[in-house]
Amino acid sequence: MPDWVKVASAGECPPGRLLGVAAGFERIVLANVDGDIYALLDRCSHQDFPLSDGELVGDRLECIYHGAKFDVCTGRAMQLPAIRPVKTFPVEIRDGDIYIEI
Amino acid sequence: MAEAVANRTGRARYAGKIEGLARSAAEHLAQGEPDWLAARRLHAWKVFEATPMPTSQLEEWRYTELGERLHLDQLRLPSAEALPDDPASWPEMLRRTMSLDPEASGHLVLVDGWVVHTDINPSLAARGVVLTSLRAAVDEHPELLKEHLATQAVPPEEGKLQALNAALWTDGVFLYVPKGVRLDAPVRVTRWISEAGAAFFTRTLIVAEQTSQVSYVDEVLSEDLSEETLSSTSVEVIARDGAQVQYVAVQWLGRGAFYQSAQRTLAGRDSTLDTLNVSLGASTTRVDLNARLLGPGANSNMLGLYFGDGDQHFDHNTSQDHLAPSARSDLLYKGALDGQSRSVFRGIIRVAKSAQQTDAYQTNRNMILSEGARADSLPKLEIEADDVKCSHGATVGHLDEESLFYLMSRGISRSQAERLVVLGFLGEVLMRLPLGGVADKVTRAVAGKLRTGPHA
Amino acid sequence: MPKNELIEGLDLDQYKYDFRSVDKPVFRTEPGLTEDVVRAISAHKNEPQWMLEFRLKSYRTYLSKPMPTWGSDLTDLENVLDKIYFYVRPQDKMKNNWEDVPDSIKNTFEKLGIPEAEQKILAGVGAQYESEMVYHSLKKEWDDKGVIFDSIEDGLKNHPELFKKYFATVVPAADNKFAAMNSAVWSGGSFVYVPKGVHLDTPLQAYFRVNQERMGQFERTLIIIDEGAQAHYIEGCTAPVYSTESFHSGVIEIVVARDARFRYTTIQNWSNNMYNLVTQRAVVNENATMEWLDGNLGSKTTMKYPSCYLVGEGAHGSILSIAYAGDGQHQDTGGKVVHAAPNTTSSIISKSISKGTGRASYRGLCKVYEGATSARSNVECDALLINETARSDTYPYIEIEEQSANVGHEATVSKIGEEQLFYLMSRGMSQEEAMALIVRGFIEPIAKQLPLEYAVELNRLIEMEMEGSVG
Repeated sequence: MPDWVKVASAGECPPGRLLGVAAGFERIVLANVDGDIYALLDRCSHQDFPLSDGELVGDRLECIYHGAKFDVCTGRAMQLPAIRPVKTFPVEIRDGDIYIEI
Repeated sequence: MAEAVANRTGRARYAGKIEGLARSAAEHLAQGEPDWLAARRLHAWKVFEATPMPTSQLEEWRYTELGERLHLDQLRLPSAEALPDDPASWPEMLRRTMSLDPEASGHLVLVDGWVVHTDINPSLAARGVVLTSLRAAVDEHPELLKEHLATQAVPPEEGKLQALNAALWTDGVFLYVPKGVRLDAPVRVTRWISEAGAAFFTRTLIVAEQTSQVSYVDEVLSEDLSEETLSSTSVEVIARDGAQVQYVAVQWLGRGAFYQSAQRTLAGRDSTLDTLNVSLGASTTRVDLNARLLGPGANSNMLGLYFGDGDQHFDHNTSQDHLAPSARSDLLYKGALDGQSRSVFRGIIRVAKSAQQTDAYQTNRNMILSEGARADSLPKLEIEADDVKCSHGATVGHLDEESLFYLMSRGISRSQAERLVVLGFLGEVLMRLPLGGVADKVTRAVAGKLRTGPHA
Repeated sequence: MPKNELIEGLDLDQYKYDFRSVDKPVFRTEPGLTEDVVRAISAHKNEPQWMLEFRLKSYRTYLSKPMPTWGSDLTDLENVLDKIYFYVRPQDKMKNNWEDVPDSIKNTFEKLGIPEAEQKILAGVGAQYESEMVYHSLKKEWDDKGVIFDSIEDGLKNHPELFKKYFATVVPAADNKFAAMNSAVWSGGSFVYVPKGVHLDTPLQAYFRVNQERMGQFERTLIIIDEGAQAHYIEGCTAPVYSTESFHSGVIEIVVARDARFRYTTIQNWSNNMYNLVTQRAVVNENATMEWLDGNLGSKTTMKYPSCYLVGEGAHGSILSIAYAGDGQHQDTGGKVVHAAPNTTSSIISKSISKGTGRASYRGLCKVYEGATSARSNVECDALLINETARSDTYPYIEIEEQSANVGHEATVSKIGEEQLFYLMSRGMSQEEAMALIVRGFIEPIAKQLPLEYAVELNRLIEMEMEGSVG
């Protein structure tokens, strides 16, 4: 059963920033693109490194470990060495808190 | 039976007192033990604490994220009451498994980490063959244990889990075969675990003296376990000059189990030391097998078979260390993967400078039966001598349509044909080590798994 | 003759390219790598701001990444790098006319046979000396068809959009420590574009020469083979022998568009004091073919694994790798194939020879992603050990997520066959002739793929290796 889980308060992830959070047994990375929050599995599809160590450039999340890039909205791999997409999660802001559906 | 009583006494010493895997557990287990053993336990605990939990950053654990599969802080030592040495009181599945075994030179039964039964052919006992619980052997064979237990074969320094095992083992198997004594029938050990959420630490020590001969079959089984449960075992097998030893481990634990086995074989001059690991059960399986060819002319056949379905994860990590000239080792690991299961094979042949005239081979073959299954294979060679014959091969493939077609053209249904092809593929491993009952049992178990899968 | 003498005699006692020119560069940075060095390189090249920023970010990435702990022993490398000149500018401006190249440089390349080669059959020739391409030329007929064959700097200057579209997309700066280093200090290398449907029927060739002591060369090559086009690019590398170590770290990025076909041949014959750490990768699209032919004969330490990312359906990748590790050399080479689309196929064939205290390691990856249905890959590695102090390793990684894939890997390690040797000697051959014949037979499947002049060169090298083995 999918579940909405509170993972952070909106203030913790300001625009242009990434934030690694835990939701149940999953590690999630939040990305704030000009005020819109996106949530992806915090695991690069190339070699499973945490994406939250990386960098957000526009709507591209760049993995610091080998330079792979992902579209934070769709999770699509945009640059080698990643091939596969990263899983994304629905996000809602409720009363200043970030909820994601897992 | 004297050992069984001793075991129950040992059990009572800490039952119900200890929860987690802590230093206090090692201290409790060490109480009443000889000083040398107590010191080894506490040393092992120190090594455990000083060793970081392996992560997938380490080459050896690259494909198995241990921290996600094994939660040591949530495990406890077993607390269930010991069963009496009376088969009538044992679980039905344990008795049924044992009833399928043909002749044996002796039996040993472990239930929930404790030896509850041993028997040995009296004429062999009279010739000095020892089959006993490790706990009893501490008192009865202290010199052999002092020399071999967690020393040159699987010392705590081998790794985090090996250290934990050396600190917290509750019981195990000790098998000693004197010089020149040959056992016609295998020694059979059967282990049963039932307590979900517990961590079982056992050890096996086999010493085969010069020109002796013995086959040893070790099965571990359980029903499905409702919580993560650890079955950890360290296996030390020593074959002296000219000895012939066969070691077989068959694992069919239920889901929920994490099976971890650290094995090292030490093969002396002109000895033959063969191993077979069959991995069918458990949620996660991690086998580390290191074969050391220590004497000239030593020979090791290393066989492995795995069959995965559901979300099972297998990780077999082998090494063939050629440290003496003119030795031979030949490894064959084969696996079939159904459902979302995944296997990792990582094997290495290392040939030292001094090991001229080495023959070393390594083969890993995988068959992927379903979308979503995965096989990783890393066969490696490190060769420092030049006069050697070394090769390795690895393949990952799928069900061969031609073979299926052929069988179906003979009137066999597709599902049956698939089963035959898979059994034939895996059967090559079993044929190389014909040992009473094992091949039959394993074949039946694989067929059973195939029947319940999408290929039925 | 005792066996040991035979083996001793196989030592490589001459290196053909050990000559040096005395010339004064027009500019060089202080030894070592600092942010100032990165800025100076960018300033000398008059680069756009985005490239300076790319370099600086790459420099930070380089600093943040640890030295690899696998592969070759790089423990001394930090010390070596402190003394290396990261940028040496040999002349003011790249020349398109051979006569205009300064004499000292021209003489070097003439000794290497570069002008001859150009006159012969090549479609184009480039030559890099220290940090810069000193010469680049393309035959007019190819120029007319829209082929671009430039120095990488001119590629950035003259084709900024094409350049920016592909640069660092195949090998991101963060890919590995040395790709990050190259991204920070790259200088020289080729920019190649072959337009749709154009078939270059003769190769493009680039020569890389390090002349100065303690020199670091960081060439960067970007090659785009457009739809249906075909080309072959050859690089050769040499340097004089100095008592101190030199350093070479290139990044080669290749895009092979659908239905195109490209071959990249390297004959690396650096002097045996060179660290050679190179990242080479190709992206291969639908029904396109990429072939790497990688010959590693020289250097002290090479770590190089040409890669094919097969991203389009029906793409094919092939890697032929040959490594020779003599005394003190470690060749850590191999290849990677990543199957990311259906019906992709690949093959890796690796042959290595270790002699004396040499060590040859094969390191490879075959990865099949789920969804790359019916992918097929085959890997074969053979290693030949010439004597008991030599070492051979094989480290393949096979990662298969796709049910319908078929993947095989095989490797063998063996000694030079004494039976073969005695047989040949009984037919009247000398020991060294017999040795050379056996080694030649061993590498023949790869050697026959080489352009003739390189095949001849390889044979000559083997004969030289075996020379003087008696007495």
